[in-house]
Amino acid sequence: MWYKRTIPLIIVFVLGILAFAHNFVPHQMAASFRETMSEWMVIAGGFALFIGIYSLLHMHVTRIRRQTTGWAYSVFVFIGAAAMIALGLWNDGAGPLQSVAPGHGTTWYDWGFDTVLLPCQATIFSLLAFFMASAAFRTFRVRNFSAGLLLVAALIVMFGRVPIWQTVTGWFGVQPAFAKGADGALSVATDAIMEYPNLAASRAIILGISLGAISQSLRILFGIERSYLGGGD
Amino acid sequence: MNPKPINWKAGATRHVIYALIAIAVIVPLLKKWPSSFTATPGPRRVYNFIEKLEPGSHVLLAFDYSPDSKAELYPMSVSLLDHCFRKGLIPIAMTHWPQGVGMARRAFDEVAAKHDKVAGEDYAVLGFKPGYVNLIINMGENLKSAFPEDLDGRSTETMPALEGVETLRDIDLAVDLAAGATVDAWVMYGSDRYDFPLVAAPTAVATPRCYPFVQSKQLVGLLGGLRGAADYEQILNVPGKATELMPAQTVTHLLLIVLILGANVRFIVRKLRGTEDA
Repeated sequence: MWYKRTIPLIIVFVLGILAFAHNFVPHQMAASFRETMSEWMVIAGGFALFIGIYSLLHMHVTRIRRQTTGWAYSVFVFIGAAAMIALGLWNDGAGPLQSVAPGHGTTWYDWGFDTVLLPCQATIFSLLAFFMASAAFRTFRVRNFSAGLLLVAALIVMFGRVPIWQTVTGWFGVQPAFAKGADGALSVATDAIMEYPNLAASRAIILGISLGAISQSLRILFGIERSYLGGGD
Repeated sequence: MNPKPINWKAGATRHVIYALIAIAVIVPLLKKWPSSFTATPGPRRVYNFIEKLEPGSHVLLAFDYSPDSKAELYPMSVSLLDHCFRKGLIPIAMTHWPQGVGMARRAFDEVAAKHDKVAGEDYAVLGFKPGYVNLIINMGENLKSAFPEDLDGRSTETMPALEGVETLRDIDLAVDLAAGATVDAWVMYGSDRYDFPLVAAPTAVATPRCYPFVQSKQLVGLLGGLRGAADYEQILNVPGKATELMPAQTVTHLLLIVLILGANVRFIVRKLRGTEDA
């Protein structure tokens, strides 16, 4: 109990108070502390990466072992990870953590990134356009006044985010002045929506998140919130 | 147990929409429809700010995105780098995203070669470090201890490109090319704390969240999504990938508007007939 709960709580309290208080101390010692702490936290962040990788691989091992639906896809996680780790360690013959010779050009690791990872991720993300279009078609209905307002705002923003009139008239080989004016007016209307109603809502969300973060930080600092210690406590 | 009956009608509507979207994207790209338009004021503010910087000024570019946002943010990265090199500014690249390293490397390979710029002398690519807000604070306290070496293993302590840069306070402008919520972190832990001008260059999805920071002048400018990138190319007078992609985005928006209006007309007609629930 002492090692698992009391010591971590003391560490969190002491470091938390120091990390908070040093901001108000205009002394060189406080600046050195800040620099040291920020370096430590970056190192701790590096370890968090390993935990993330372990967690990902563990999840996929479990899926393969239990042969759950789509388990074969998990095999590709290991093939991909193994291939990229091997290419990274080999590093075109320079070895791990070494720089390849200047002027070497694209390494095999870069090739893997450029020709496999990049198009795969871009493809997956591009699918979003199809789902968004389908969702917009099925759900954007003027069911009441609020939905009507949302629809009007969405249409103005969709019009204002692209040079719709200049593009359409451009297909016919003309560029009339009204097209530029219409696009400009739509752009102004879009900016007005983004700078007033959107801004008010965004600011409310940011304030809400910030107040929540402050409250949660205080709960952790004073040992009221202990779920991060694990064990369902 | 009987299997759930397939709703072919609903499925067909969805597939027709998918097909239409595919056509709306692919045809303008294949046909290479011309794209000529006037830039919006937001990107112009960013351009004007960079124009006012003295040659030799340091511009920090945070490549906080991965390949999935390449279509929007990569053209922006290229345009900004192009502008920096044209002006004789010194770009410094880093990222909070592991895959941002690949994006930065590609952008610098493409643009630096065009301007005959040398790594370590005319620009610095520092790479990736974990830590997120702590990394920003670390850079704010001591940039060279946060990144002792650049991506190719050169020491940042003696690097000519980083001469005069000890902390984030010495940066003349920072631009966050963001696919996530990193703009908030750069504002709260970076520019507010260490007092440097910041520009946000997020994806279109992340753009609305940045407006409060523009109004409060915590951001000196905002380049939002593909349109922001295309506008910047127009201002620079170097039409690139974003300009090339604008007709596809325009036609897709037009199609979406037609689909939404069509669906609403059908909905209202059905409601008037009493065949649709409110």
